Amino acid sequence: MIAVAVIVFREVLEASLIVSIVLAASKGTPRRGLWVAGGIALGVLGACIVAGFAAEIAQAVAGMGQELFNAAILFAAVGMLGWHNVWMGRHGKEMAIEASALGREVAAGTRPLYALASVVGVAVLREGSESVLFLYGVAAAGGGGLVNMLGGGAIGILGGVVAGAALYLGLLRIPSRHLFAVTSWMILLLAAGLASQGAFFLNQADVLPSLGNEIWDTSWLLTEDSVPGRVLHVLVGYVARPAGIQLVFWAGTVVILLTLMRWFSTAPTRTVVRAAAFVALALAGLSLAHVARADFTIHPPIVEYREFEVESNGSYTFDPNPANKHNETGTLELGYGVLPWWGTELEFAWSRTASDPPRRLDEINWENTFQLADQGAWWLDPGIFAEIGKSARVGNANHFEIGPTLQKEWGNTVHVLNLFLEHGFGPNNDTKGLDLSYAWRSLWTWRTELQPGFEIFGDAGQIDRIGGIRDQELRAGPVVYGRISLGPVLGELKYGVGYLLGLTHATEKGALKWNLEWEWVF
Amino acid sequence: MARRTAVILLTFMTFVAAGGLARADDPQFTLTIKDHRFAPAELQIPAGVKVKLMIKNEDSTPEEFESRELHREKVVPPGQQILVIVGPLDAGTYPFFGDFHKDTAQGKLIAK
Repeated sequence: MIAVAVIVFREVLEASLIVSIVLAASKGTPRRGLWVAGGIALGVLGACIVAGFAAEIAQAVAGMGQELFNAAILFAAVGMLGWHNVWMGRHGKEMAIEASALGREVAAGTRPLYALASVVGVAVLREGSESVLFLYGVAAAGGGGLVNMLGGGAIGILGGVVAGAALYLGLLRIPSRHLFAVTSWMILLLAAGLASQGAFFLNQADVLPSLGNEIWDTSWLLTEDSVPGRVLHVLVGYVARPAGIQLVFWAGTVVILLTLMRWFSTAPTRTVVRAAAFVALALAGLSLAHVARADFTIHPPIVEYREFEVESNGSYTFDPNPANKHNETGTLELGYGVLPWWGTELEFAWSRTASDPPRRLDEINWENTFQLADQGAWWLDPGIFAEIGKSARVGNANHFEIGPTLQKEWGNTVHVLNLFLEHGFGPNNDTKGLDLSYAWRSLWTWRTELQPGFEIFGDAGQIDRIGGIRDQELRAGPVVYGRISLGPVLGELKYGVGYLLGLTHATEKGALKWNLEWEWVF
Repeated sequence: MARRTAVILLTFMTFVAAGGLARADDPQFTLTIKDHRFAPAELQIPAGVKVKLMIKNEDSTPEEFESRELHREKVVPPGQQILVIVGPLDAGTYPFFGDFHKDTAQGKLIAK
């Protein structure tokens, strides 16, 4: 009975979490209970029908009916979630501004609740039909099967509902003025996760290529079969071994929905600005092709609270020695200022070397910046940077990096110092102890759009056996940074470009580096 | 509007599916589910090409063929057979299982 309950719990959990997000997102809207209950009821009915016609669906469309059916309802749900978020971006503020409670209710009453209700219906239908099939199988097995089915089914459903209720109550504790922002994000990530699942089924149906069967494997850390893994799977689309096409659909959904939300939001936007945003996105996409180890990045201690960023860094080396000639590195990063003192970033780093020409994903890094004091409160702005990286290449080690980051503003100039210690770990780690690296940047804020300065990057090697400076890696050179505002809606574009000269014989002669960042407050 | 969107989407995908499906000359293998076990429990398939797996369920209860490594998840109704297309796979071992009877329904593909 417990085995039955566990499987049913897993299926119900997914639907239940989605229902609780929808309930929290629609808090304060009249008749939402009716809509959500209707969605659940239709979902249960639909689940029974789909389970009943499982054989017919399986044989449809040359045997690919199941996949196409799943993909179709998943993408329909993505569309509904997107439509809801776009609508809220347009009308959410009006609702908040309405002074009277009655006015707010009237404004809220026009919300597209059918969109959320149909998402609930789809979630219940998808997970429910599997539960129905499974429970039917248990009951049909005979020998106490019926008792097993009823008892296990009831415990499983109850467990799933309790987990959903816990999430709902947790969300309700968020103050009302932040609740909308939080649920908008949750719905955005939910939509991205569902789109990635839809891509999974289209790939299974042989409609879409996989673009890499397994871009990374984090099943050592968290499997999707565990309860936390399952929860993350629903909430953010976590997959332990994602195929490339799933990542493309996940990221594509996030970018497209955010862009639509911005476009249709009530603030005015000029066509030129939209075009600029598109160019930025295209460039970010392009740099995917170039990509890098984040060696040439300075991490300031300042967290940009509530700011979302898409960033790409790249570098290209020049050296007479063929082994170091034309090595490329690149990154794509997604970051968010979660708290006033905590910013977090997910970074995908690629490289290509002359000796190993194919461009490949090297590692996935989780970067965190902790701002230790309000900016300007102390003589020096202090922060801590910490990063954990999982190698994506066979035979490479994982790593952990931590250290202080300090910033000082002086008139029109800004100076940053990073001092980091790195430690390798994992089955492929062949280094011992800690590696020390340092970086310095000074910029002169001539104009917001044009800030010239210089950067220094050094790697001293293992701290217990630091050799002569000649054997260390050391680079320095001129850089230019700048910020271009795209208006109140589209945020800000940041760029940086520089040329670093190799100062020791252990470093390549020169490296061109660049970065492009799109930021907006959400 | 939602329904129209769904219909358009489904129609579109049906067309794409019809165009993109595996070719008839892809190598094909059969897996049989009986008494909640896969036979054969270990199946050798060629690496580097698309492979069709015909999965027959001879039990009277439904099963779900699933594999995290292969990225596949498909219900096999009782008494029916379904088609799962995998690959092209790198050489290696790819475990799969029956999600509804995980304790017995375990197997692996060995791509060579």
